Amino acid sequence: MTDNKTELSEKQRRRQHMQSLTKEERSYLRRRELGDKLWVVCRAVILCGLGFIIFYPLIYMISCTFRGRADMNDPTVVWIPRRPTLSVLRETIEAMDFWNTLLNTVLLNVGCSLVQVLSCAVTGYGFARFSFRGKKQLFGIVILMILVPMQIISVPLYFQFRFFLGTDVNLIDTMWTMYLPAMTANGIRSGLMILIFRQFFRGLPRELEDAAYIDGCGPFMTFVRVMIPNALSSFLTVFLFSIVWYWNDYYISSMYFSETKTIATTLCNLENELKLRLFGDATVKISRREQAAWRQAGCLISIAPLLIMYTFLQKYFTEGIERSGLVT
Amino acid sequence: MSRKKAPSGGAKPSKLSYERRKALYGYGFIGLWLLGTIWFFLIPLGKSLIYSFNSIGIENGNMTMKWTGLDNYSAALNKDQYYVDYLEKTLIETLWKTPLILIFSLFIAVVLNQKFRGRTLARAVFFLPVIIATGPVFRIINGDMDATGTTSGQPQFSTLMKTDLVGDLMNFLGYGTGGRITGFITAVADNVFGIVWSSGIQILLFLAALQNIPPSAREAAQIEGATSWEYFWKIVFPYVSPFVLANLIFTVIDSFTDPMNEVMQRILVFQTVDINYGLASAMAWIYFGIILAAIALVTFIVNKFVYYEVD
Repeated sequence: MTDNKTELSEKQRRRQHMQSLTKEERSYLRRRELGDKLWVVCRAVILCGLGFIIFYPLIYMISCTFRGRADMNDPTVVWIPRRPTLSVLRETIEAMDFWNTLLNTVLLNVGCSLVQVLSCAVTGYGFARFSFRGKKQLFGIVILMILVPMQIISVPLYFQFRFFLGTDVNLIDTMWTMYLPAMTANGIRSGLMILIFRQFFRGLPRELEDAAYIDGCGPFMTFVRVMIPNALSSFLTVFLFSIVWYWNDYYISSMYFSETKTIATTLCNLENELKLRLFGDATVKISRREQAAWRQAGCLISIAPLLIMYTFLQKYFTEGIERSGLVT
Repeated sequence: MSRKKAPSGGAKPSKLSYERRKALYGYGFIGLWLLGTIWFFLIPLGKSLIYSFNSIGIENGNMTMKWTGLDNYSAALNKDQYYVDYLEKTLIETLWKTPLILIFSLFIAVVLNQKFRGRTLARAVFFLPVIIATGPVFRIINGDMDATGTTSGQPQFSTLMKTDLVGDLMNFLGYGTGGRITGFITAVADNVFGIVWSSGIQILLFLAALQNIPPSAREAAQIEGATSWEYFWKIVFPYVSPFVLANLIFTVIDSFTDPMNEVMQRILVFQTVDINYGLASAMAWIYFGIILAAIALVTFIVNKFVYYEVD
């Protein structure tokens, strides 16, 4: 009751307030309120529409994955399969040798990302806090690393690993081809990562280190004991992005690996592999709609781990960029 | 080790000055990268430049080089039937797609920066492309959206435009445009998919920039009676303008260095199928030259309009 009363009186007060205003002021307020309400509707429509565009391929993947053989040739099946089976999924998992490939990819991926984040952080710190001769020119190289497409250096790089250090040591098809560049902050998109870390460390207050120096800590120990603990969330964000980039890379891995399989490279060869397994012939022609089923199933299982990671660690992707210091 | 090398405030005179020592530590921090970059970046870069001036042959597993000057470059530009076409196509596509991606991502960032229910979910959805769009999965999705007949996605978005409703409307209003506007809108509508899917990081960056605007700016604007429109152009836009440049460069690089674009595919053909490393390198270098020129030009133009808060 009392609630109702106060509300009423508030309404009355508002009405009084409205009456005290001039006609123009009133119409202005009313127009604004209407505009705000319209905008809420518009926003909902826009966001839902665009959200649909983003979800469309994912829904399509799921729909394709569970189609039975008969559904593939049935044009009336658009979204929901009539005879849902798991056979496509099972065949695709087998053809990709999914669990082994996954293990391989994760080993390569997580390891490289971890090493690369550390090496890039160290380099970025060096660029952020120390002044030395040639720093500008050296940082120019970092920018160059961001700009130069991998395709330019890929062939000479291949020979670099094929005859490692000018000797007959062949590193092609070993994980060293990925780990060595990652260790020395030269892996996939490491230029960008060095830049991010440099910006981040520049944004931290200098007092942090000065205090450590006065306490008798050397620069390396300061970095390990003072800067790294402060940078942990930024580390995590860059690490997650790095995992995504390594996961999605197929150009570089297909160049170095023929025996070692990663998710991305097997996905690219999935079609032939499946044709061999299912029809015993890599040149057989099957219809587009049939192809799509297996292809989409392959897509689904290759991004599934990323999607799971994203659902749980979404916060670090979306909020991390602000903390990473790229924006200051 | 740490105690000995620490600056001791003049209590113990050390051999090297503080500045010198710090510089040495600087080299220590970047040393690993420098070593790697010489080996995995600079040497290959130089070699690739040398390849582009040579004709490369492979005999018994050994590489033979013969100096041919600019032959590879002229072959790439004059003899290859696809290269120039692809180059032109990629350039034009980047030229019109980049501004659209920027406008779109700024718009979405402004929307996602408002307070409403389900905002976290909306953000999560719009950043989803970030984790997929760099990989082969995206290429497959994109292809399938183009070409799977009954369930194709993209053309559906533009059926409305195909009937030339916009052109009719413009004619009705007295602006005969000869279907050019319709053509443009159709192209945009056809590419909604591509634009939405390649704006993830851009939205992320813009959003971070928007969150840096102090709330007091908004209050002040409201007290002065600014409309949302004025607020956007007079306050928001100057604040995010430095990120327009960053985003622009990011978008341009991303679309140019995308392994799926046609120029890259063409280069790949000469690297893996018709082995001709010299020609492939020449093509890659021409392409890279164009990228550099484009980025330099863009940076130069945009820098004139950018507002820096601290400088």
